[in-house]
Amino acid sequence: MNSNGTPKQKFIFTDSGRMEKILSQYPDKRSATLPLLHLAQTQEGFITGAIIDAVAQYTEIHPAEVMDCVSFYTMFFRRPLGTNKLQVCQTLSCSLNGADDFVDHITQKYGTKPGETTSDGKFTLLKVECLGSCGTAPVIQINNDYHEGLSINELDKLLDSIP
Amino acid sequence: MPLLKIDDKEIQVESGTTILETAIASGIEIPYYCYHPALEVVGSCRMCLVQVEGMSKLQVSCNTFIGEVHPDRKVNGKYDMVVYTQNELVVKERKNILEFLLLNHPLDCPVCDQAGECYLQDYSFKFGNAHSRFEEEKRVRPNEYLGSQIVINHNRCILCSRCVRFTQEISGTSELFVEARGYNSKIAALEDKPLDNLLAGNVADICPVGALLSTDYIHKNRIWNLEQKPSICQDCSVGCNVDVFSQQDQIFRLTARENQDVNGYFMCDIGRYGFHRFEKIERISHPMVRNGKSFNVLDWDEAIKKTADLIEKSKEKTAGIVSPFHTNESNYLLGLLMKETLGYLPPITGEEITFPTKFRISADRSPNLRGVNDICGDLVKDFTSIIKTRDIRGLYILDDGVDRKLDDSWKDILAKMDFVIVQSYAMTELAKSAHIVLPGLAPFEREGTITNDKGRIQWLRPSLATKGDSKPDWEILMLVRNALHKESEYFADLGEVIKKMGDQFPNYSGISLFKIGTQGMALT
Amino acid sequence: MSDFEPVLTEHIHQKDCHTLSFYKSVGGYTALEKVLKMNPAEVTQEVKDSNLRGRGGAGFPAGIKWGFIPKDTDKPKYLINNADESEPGTFKDRLLMNKVPHQMLEGMIIAAYAIGCQTSFIYIRGEFYKEFKMLEMAVDEAYESNLLGQNILGSNYNLDVVIHRGAGAYICGEETGLIESLEGKRGWPRIKPPFPAIEGYLQSPTIVNNVETLSCIPHIITRGASWFKSIGPEKGPGPRLFCISGRVNNPGVFEEPMGIALKDLIFERAGGIPDGKKLKAVFPGGSSSAILTAEEALDVNMDFDELVEKKTMLGSAGVIVMDETVDMVQACLNIARFYAHESCGQCTPCREGTGWLVKMLTRLVNGGGTPKDIDMIFEITDNIGGLIDFSKGSFGKTICPFGEAVAWPVRSFVEKFKDEFLAYLPKEKVVA
Ligand SMILES: Cc1cc2nc3c(=O)[nH]c(=O)nc-3n(C[C@H](O)[C@H](O)[C@H](O)COP(=O)(O)O)c2cc1C
Ligand code: SF4
Ligand code: SF4
Ligand code: SF4
Ligand code: FES
Repeated sequence: MNSNGTPKQKFIFTDSGRMEKILSQYPDKRSATLPLLHLAQTQEGFITGAIIDAVAQYTEIHPAEVMDCVSFYTMFFRRPLGTNKLQVCQTLSCSLNGADDFVDHITQKYGTKPGETTSDGKFTLLKVECLGSCGTAPVIQINNDYHEGLSINELDKLLDSIP
Repeated sequence: MPLLKIDDKEIQVESGTTILETAIASGIEIPYYCYHPALEVVGSCRMCLVQVEGMSKLQVSCNTFIGEVHPDRKVNGKYDMVVYTQNELVVKERKNILEFLLLNHPLDCPVCDQAGECYLQDYSFKFGNAHSRFEEEKRVRPNEYLGSQIVINHNRCILCSRCVRFTQEISGTSELFVEARGYNSKIAALEDKPLDNLLAGNVADICPVGALLSTDYIHKNRIWNLEQKPSICQDCSVGCNVDVFSQQDQIFRLTARENQDVNGYFMCDIGRYGFHRFEKIERISHPMVRNGKSFNVLDWDEAIKKTADLIEKSKEKTAGIVSPFHTNESNYLLGLLMKETLGYLPPITGEEITFPTKFRISADRSPNLRGVNDICGDLVKDFTSIIKTRDIRGLYILDDGVDRKLDDSWKDILAKMDFVIVQSYAMTELAKSAHIVLPGLAPFEREGTITNDKGRIQWLRPSLATKGDSKPDWEILMLVRNALHKESEYFADLGEVIKKMGDQFPNYSGISLFKIGTQGMALT
Repeated sequence: MSDFEPVLTEHIHQKDCHTLSFYKSVGGYTALEKVLKMNPAEVTQEVKDSNLRGRGGAGFPAGIKWGFIPKDTDKPKYLINNADESEPGTFKDRLLMNKVPHQMLEGMIIAAYAIGCQTSFIYIRGEFYKEFKMLEMAVDEAYESNLLGQNILGSNYNLDVVIHRGAGAYICGEETGLIESLEGKRGWPRIKPPFPAIEGYLQSPTIVNNVETLSCIPHIITRGASWFKSIGPEKGPGPRLFCISGRVNNPGVFEEPMGIALKDLIFERAGGIPDGKKLKAVFPGGSSSAILTAEEALDVNMDFDELVEKKTMLGSAGVIVMDETVDMVQACLNIARFYAHESCGQCTPCREGTGWLVKMLTRLVNGGGTPKDIDMIFEITDNIGGLIDFSKGSFGKTICPFGEAVAWPVRSFVEKFKDEFLAYLPKEKVVA
């Protein structure tokens, strides 16, 4: 499963210091799987086949075991996404406080349905489950940052301010 | 030892055994899917739930251990554990689990290869509901290749994870994994790292439903048409125990047969698919004698007589060549017949492969080299040179059917011989060079004993009927010997040969086919 | 009750409350200094005596759990701080990590010392990136001040803390799912026995405790077990962070003594319901608890045992409030969808049952329901989570309690608001 269908090139961690540190923190190698995947995804944008192989090599497990992990967790992406991931929480407290309107609004604004990326590659709209910030619903996580309790207007401004 | 009450039965069990192991050992049926004795317990299918007195929840019997309890806490002052496997709660629970398992199942038993040996079919018949209450759209996925020989039908898969654990724990190759999670979970392999290890075929055996299919067997036949016979794999000196499934003259598949002293529950793909080798072989169906460049057909009486005459004529200058592909009895009888056995044909070797759980494929790819060494005394490896140095004028060769190219030194030897008798089932180059060709049996037709490389003697049983005019190899050898020495014994059956063999070789004494049984015997 | 002073959140409104220097200025790490002079068994005993029960959901007494660690083993022992906080309606650990990370860290060091652990982990959900950075900073500070590392504060005790990010899976909050995930595998909960205290991370004895549980520890050490026990009900005492979300005017985290009336939480602390609407139903302890009707909610205290009597649970103390404008069928589908998305998928009933529920509820919401669907929901939930008979305990039948966590809430919606489900049936079918 060469995620993007292109021939594999060897993946190299640019932040090798960080990679070494991760590997040294655990009593065994395999425990470094998730942190290495996070590090690699930050570098590459999504999990490529080459990343799978590289992580498998460092953790000394089979690439299939790495893929097993990648496919289990929602934060690992196996396809390229937009520069900004708009992750709207859709679980109850957010839903009761207008999260569904967020999704509709973004869909209208950019013409993207959940799961889709804008044609300029700037945004990908994703529906996610409870982000653990129900007290400040509705919540949208854009890349790493939470934006809490926004009105539609504020959301609009925020989106427009993204360069 | 703790005392267990399971339904109406009282059983004394070893501390630390599980309810399920105990039930299996004592013939009490508790249905299960994810449990497999060779694999780690995961307890995920939930099919084996039973009720344990004093516990509020139903317990999975595969992970519930029986142990001694304090005298004050014994149930009814007596039992260390009381288990119900048939009560209303348990019966209802099984129905529920089966209902869940069948929600998305295509219910296509009539076209399924597993039909007849499927635990889903079995259990739903025995324990399930008559009809499905699922009215939603089914989860439908196309079949996929997991490796060159294994296809998965996702719609039948019950996600017991046996196959995944097999690749992680037994083959140690880890190609299979579960992809995604929850309702979307499925078994997968990476496209560029498919399931292609030498133990891959076992996953089809251990899949409790018809989800993993061997492309070798897929839709070729239905299990109820096939005859199943216990046998021994003859593709290396490990001697895995197998079941051979055949119809009329044709083998359709081999599966591993449990033997904890040999192969556990598994076999390798060399052995599993090895039987195809014999399908296209040009069989020798009649005894033949050379006539110039070609052969004339003989009847058996003539052939035996001619053979005996040739041996008689050259007497002291004759020798036998045994074979690690043949049974102990055939090799032994050749020894009796020829007074001297010089050696065996060049053995077939390969790479010795050991898997993490000790499953092993031997470098020696013949089934009975140990037996040859035990029975045939001192054999020289390179007997061709011995032949040159000694005045040998006649050879009786138990051919193994391997089509070797005859090299020049062999050609020289053959040219020098007064006669060469080849007993074979296949028209090998060697057979083609013989003066007399005697048709013996092919590997899956043979019966007798073979000794694996760990010194375990096993009963090789015939899976197929003999073809044409050919005869069991041991019988041919006996008949020639009877013709040669009128006073020599007539063996009514293999058992008598084994007995005689035991008289001569102490570590083979006291052996009988009955004692060897389906599990073999360790030689002392 | 009104004289209750916040303990865990006392300083959260102060400037730089997240820094080590601030934390030290209000007495931080003195508990640790005290502990390093005690022997580990004494520390465990103090926590046992306090009756501190776990704040992660299951409410298991912390001191007793620590006591399960085998004494006679050569294996390393591990402490894992469960900061996966993913239970819908729960967002208190996030607050603690953002505002007072050192309080939690001090609790961790004390717990680790008590169980003889030298490497410990914080498993933080992957989405909490800011909190992860905050913890990194706090841990760095702690190393610099010799609160972590070798010979902590001149004692002979060594401890490392590794912060480990999850990657998006609610089930990794379940302690054995978490351990698998930490080991670099999919978060499939393990079958028990063995329990983690005997065979946990890398088959070694492991204790998993929640962020809030650990944050209580320094206070128990400083002020004593009997002080702790004097707050709220004796069997489940202490300060507690209640999270209130959903349809309230002033949602948020409120620190109160255990046993506070749910009514007070909703109407006083959280300022009641917007636009003067009426209360309809409440999740008292995260989305895994059975919902209470308005009537039930107005008459219950937030106490472990009292909620069990009401056939629900305190769980993670995540209160989700639904008012009269909320469509209970949609809400039920929302929750069912969450669980279907998060089921790890290894157990047959949970994997297949959650998918079935979502398909059926979706059909119902789209107008394709039939009367028998409603009874089927009871059957399916019972078959996933077990017959719920509180007099005999729950009849869970899956590897982990997730099965019950789906079954209870979904079932309670249908049980308590059946009319709304019936109203979704196409008209002629209701008559039939
Ligand atoms: C499905 C499920 C999800 C859970 N999620 C969390 C969680 O996010 N955080 C947490 O602390 N405990 C969670 N738990 C409880 C943990 O299994 C465990 O009981 C807890 O972390 C122990 O810590 P405590 O004793 O301090 O509460 C969850 C349990 C289940 C069954
Ligand atoms: S393919 Fe067969 S063995 Fe593998 S998980 Fe599915 S049912 Fe089990
Ligand atoms: S290991 Fe040897 S005996 Fe066993 S199946 Fe393979 S070839 Fe046959
Ligand atoms: S109950 Fe559900 S979440 Fe828990 S182990 Fe089983 S399938 Fe996974
Ligand atoms: S066999 Fe026990 S749960 Fe599957």
